[in-house]
Amino acid sequence: MKRVAIVGIGHGKFGVRSDASLRELTFEAVTACLEDAGLSLQEVDSMVTGIAGDEFSISLQPSAQVHDYIGFHPKPNFRVEGACATGSMALRTGWMNIASGLADVVLVVGVEKMTEVSTPVATGIMGRGGDAIWEYPFGMTFPGYYALIAQAHMAEYGTTEEQLAMVAVKNHYYGSLNPFAHMQKEVTLEKAMTSFTVAHPLKLYDCSLITDGAAAVLLASEERAREISKKPVWIAGLGLATDTMRITERESLTTIRATREAARIAYKMAGIGPSDVDVAAVHDCFTIAEILAYEDLGFCEKGEGGRLIAAKETYLDGTIPVNVDGGLKSKGHPLGATGVSMAVEITKQLRGEAGKRQVKDAAVGLSHNVGGTGQVVAVHIFRRE
Amino acid sequence: MDFRTFSLSISQTKVARFAQELAQGKIMSTLCTRCGKRYYPPRADCSACLGTEMEWRPLEGEGRLLSFTKIFVPPEHFALPQPRMPFSSVQFDPCPVGIVEAEEGLRVMGWIPKGDVKKLRVGMRMKASAVTLPDGRLTIVLEPL
Repeated sequence: MKRVAIVGIGHGKFGVRSDASLRELTFEAVTACLEDAGLSLQEVDSMVTGIAGDEFSISLQPSAQVHDYIGFHPKPNFRVEGACATGSMALRTGWMNIASGLADVVLVVGVEKMTEVSTPVATGIMGRGGDAIWEYPFGMTFPGYYALIAQAHMAEYGTTEEQLAMVAVKNHYYGSLNPFAHMQKEVTLEKAMTSFTVAHPLKLYDCSLITDGAAAVLLASEERAREISKKPVWIAGLGLATDTMRITERESLTTIRATREAARIAYKMAGIGPSDVDVAAVHDCFTIAEILAYEDLGFCEKGEGGRLIAAKETYLDGTIPVNVDGGLKSKGHPLGATGVSMAVEITKQLRGEAGKRQVKDAAVGLSHNVGGTGQVVAVHIFRRE
Repeated sequence: MDFRTFSLSISQTKVARFAQELAQGKIMSTLCTRCGKRYYPPRADCSACLGTEMEWRPLEGEGRLLSFTKIFVPPEHFALPQPRMPFSSVQFDPCPVGIVEAEEGLRVMGWIPKGDVKKLRVGMRMKASAVTLPDGRLTIVLEPL
């Protein structure tokens, strides 16, 4: 199989970007990415665009807008969609383009503009991302789904609301060190615990943010990667798995089964296990989601996730640093951009360019991106030379 | 009875009879006549054997509460309009929702009217029933047994 590397990364400022449109956000990330790679757009063969929602972009074919705005015609552009895992599916599609021999250099872009619509409308769009016919009629929202998961996890394993809040404290601390983060500020345990309830037992600081933003990576075949970059980061493993649309039909409410399956495939392809991972970017759309990720990715035993964060094992100096860029929690979660942003962060870590957030000698990184409540999950493993 | 009265957004489906039965006070599931797999929510087509011959079966709806929540930040169809009186606000006390695991492991989502999240417990026994709301919408409620 052909080897594929990340040879360029670009990240725009995440936040309420009322100053910019979908296409303009994309432009920022793409130009930063090309500059990082030292490549012109003329040297890129094709493009993959991850945008989750037509409803957010208020138009059909939003990917044509962003492709047009960077002036990439007549070259091909593929739009990819997988709800909150859209960005990782775009990365996977880019990898497939190169591994198949169709292209040598591929630009992967993830972008979402979520704040053009009101919060109730955005909450409705995402709520119908559960099951629009059978679950939305009960007022379900994304915080609602993860609240059901949290309540079940607390009942089954004794996980506490305080342990959930500890995830927020960690991620906001690292987000405060990330200039691209939506909410660059620290949060105390007390503030997190006393913030208002969004969906019982989840409170404001248990939830990620409705965010605008874009991120881009440039992928290249082995031959081109060595010409373009001194520090290529190799995509060593890819796993993608799916589960039922309705949360009511899941085997268990306390496990994201698609995470376990995607991780199994990715670890096998890379020839490693969970203990070989030096740094991870996991899908913390809610604090409980990060705790599930610890367990389902194998960083701890099932049910031990709450105790892992309480022991601070997922901080920079812990056994497995997780979301040391602030995660979705503090960096923000522009659906299509999130998976690509994870790849940008892991690439920085493996190149040794993460500054104050650098994991010492990081050689193996992992990204974990959950679509919806686990309808689709992508796990990627990255390695430096 | 229009299926949209239940689903809020979609009226065209092969299982639209579900809404008619709800209006009669019954929660219905479907059973694949070829392989015997039973579905709630009901389906017109079987994903286990790809059969399309289904029979409607009423659901008892009694079982264990798997989980519950109370959503304070609702989506658009459930959000309150802004009050028109300046300097005023409306108090919002949402109804909890939960999932009951009923017979044959079928799970039913429903509202828990007057449910107090401090008193609800995962594992408690509840029963799901069909309800027609005063405004004509059809839905399902879960009540302690």
